[in-house]
Amino acid sequence: MAARAADVKIIANASVKAAAVSVEEIRGVFLATKSSLSDGTHVEPVLLKGGAAHEAFVKQYLGKTDAGLENYYRSLVFTGRGLMPTTLASDQVVIEYVAKTRGAVGYVSAVMNTPGVKTLEIK
Amino acid sequence: MWLDMRSLLAPLVLCAAPSLEAQLSFRIDGHPVQVHGFASQGFAYSGQNNYLTMNSSHGSFALTDVGVNASFQLTDRFHVGAQVYTRNIGHLGDWHPQLDWAVADYRFTDWFGIRGGVVKTVFGLEGDTQDMEFIHTSALLPQSVYPTDLRDALLRHRGGDLYGEIPLKHLGSLSYTGYAGQREDSRYGGYPYLLLTNGGHIASYGGLQVGADLRWNTPLQGLLVGASRMSADVTGTGTWTIPTDPPATIPYEEHSKRDWTHQFYGQYTAGNLRLASEYRRYWRDQAIFSDSFEVGTDVRGWYASASYRFTKHLELGAYYSRWMVTPTDAFHVMPSSQDAPDRHLYDKVITARFDLNHHWNVKVEGHFMDGNGGVWSYPSGFYPQDNPQGLQPKTNLLLIRTGWSF
Repeated sequence: MAARAADVKIIANASVKAAAVSVEEIRGVFLATKSSLSDGTHVEPVLLKGGAAHEAFVKQYLGKTDAGLENYYRSLVFTGRGLMPTTLASDQVVIEYVAKTRGAVGYVSAVMNTPGVKTLEIK
Repeated sequence: MWLDMRSLLAPLVLCAAPSLEAQLSFRIDGHPVQVHGFASQGFAYSGQNNYLTMNSSHGSFALTDVGVNASFQLTDRFHVGAQVYTRNIGHLGDWHPQLDWAVADYRFTDWFGIRGGVVKTVFGLEGDTQDMEFIHTSALLPQSVYPTDLRDALLRHRGGDLYGEIPLKHLGSLSYTGYAGQREDSRYGGYPYLLLTNGGHIASYGGLQVGADLRWNTPLQGLLVGASRMSADVTGTGTWTIPTDPPATIPYEEHSKRDWTHQFYGQYTAGNLRLASEYRRYWRDQAIFSDSFEVGTDVRGWYASASYRFTKHLELGAYYSRWMVTPTDAFHVMPSSQDAPDRHLYDKVITARFDLNHHWNVKVEGHFMDGNGGVWSYPSGFYPQDNPQGLQPKTNLLLIRTGWSF
């Protein structure tokens, strides 16, 4: 069963100053048109490889499908406009990566315990 | 049926895919480095005219391209990278490798960045991504706007870009790119190939390009509209062989009197549905034989496309493409009606794309072409030397293309 958007939470490394972000900011960060949040913190997007939380996030926050997002990143990579973002296999790995990586912002299933990272509110 | 052994390159690379994947991302001194690549192999069969310099009326496998790139993120704001590309499509490309792009890109803020080097030109929806069959539904982009044989014209420049994205709060955002640089066309492109018909041998073809692209990501999620404009000052040099007895070869030079292109476009995506349409007009006044004569061409093209992804493995698409040419010089005795087959090329296309996995796709595509665009001073995709029996007014084309990327 596909997850609902409410089942996804946005997490960030402790170095990220903001407590809340807008959907537009999240979209910009994950579509590589923004490299910092409005508070000035430089951020790095971290994606899940697949699964219900990933599909919900991509649809709700980015307005794309998984295939559409992949094509979008490929169009950046193969024109010299950027590198592929970090993509990890599971919620747990994303949490661990975000916890130890300065500026990292990711998303995981809302039911996950997320020790060592902060959860960002959506404005 | 002609088969170049080099055409087997792509399938062989496809087989190597799983073993390559793990080696493509690593770090140097803590900085990420990524290596990516793609390859595609096609087969074309046309019932009538030979198309895009392929011997397609007998079935041709001469539809191959390969690209490999590496990118290096030096700081949060600065990355560098380069891509090498080669292709063999009939007589186009002829396997001569090109430095496709080699870029240093620094983003000062989200709304302002600069990139320089050999830079892919942002022009319309697909100007910079026209080689990437793996991100397109169709095996061949609409040729009215993205002619494969004239790939070099709007693809890249040696120079620099200013770019950025400006948020407009509740009105979405504006993305802009302004650029200037030198264009340098391959000697193995469609235009030099066309001139061969009459004895022209182009040694170099290129010049200054200046242009801009502005696109509005509208507040309606998934709707993008934009416009691109470019002016060029292009010079070609080489020799011309005159069929006297014995043949005489003289120096040849041509240069732009006026050369501009503009394009308007829109795209809407909603879930698995994608709709797109673009209009391009290209105007070219070219002084030839060192200002002795002037030839002019007014080319207008547009397409409308739709695609829908039904499953993870299947996507269907279709487009309708219209290309119309009007010679604007005194040399060409032109049919007065746009309905004449040598004044237009209308193409109805349907495609089935099968994604075998994330890296590998197979496409089956049918083209039903009305008209051939004739033989004027600018190519239409049909060349007289490939069709010595004369051009037929209609062409049906079957394309099967497989592509791989990592």
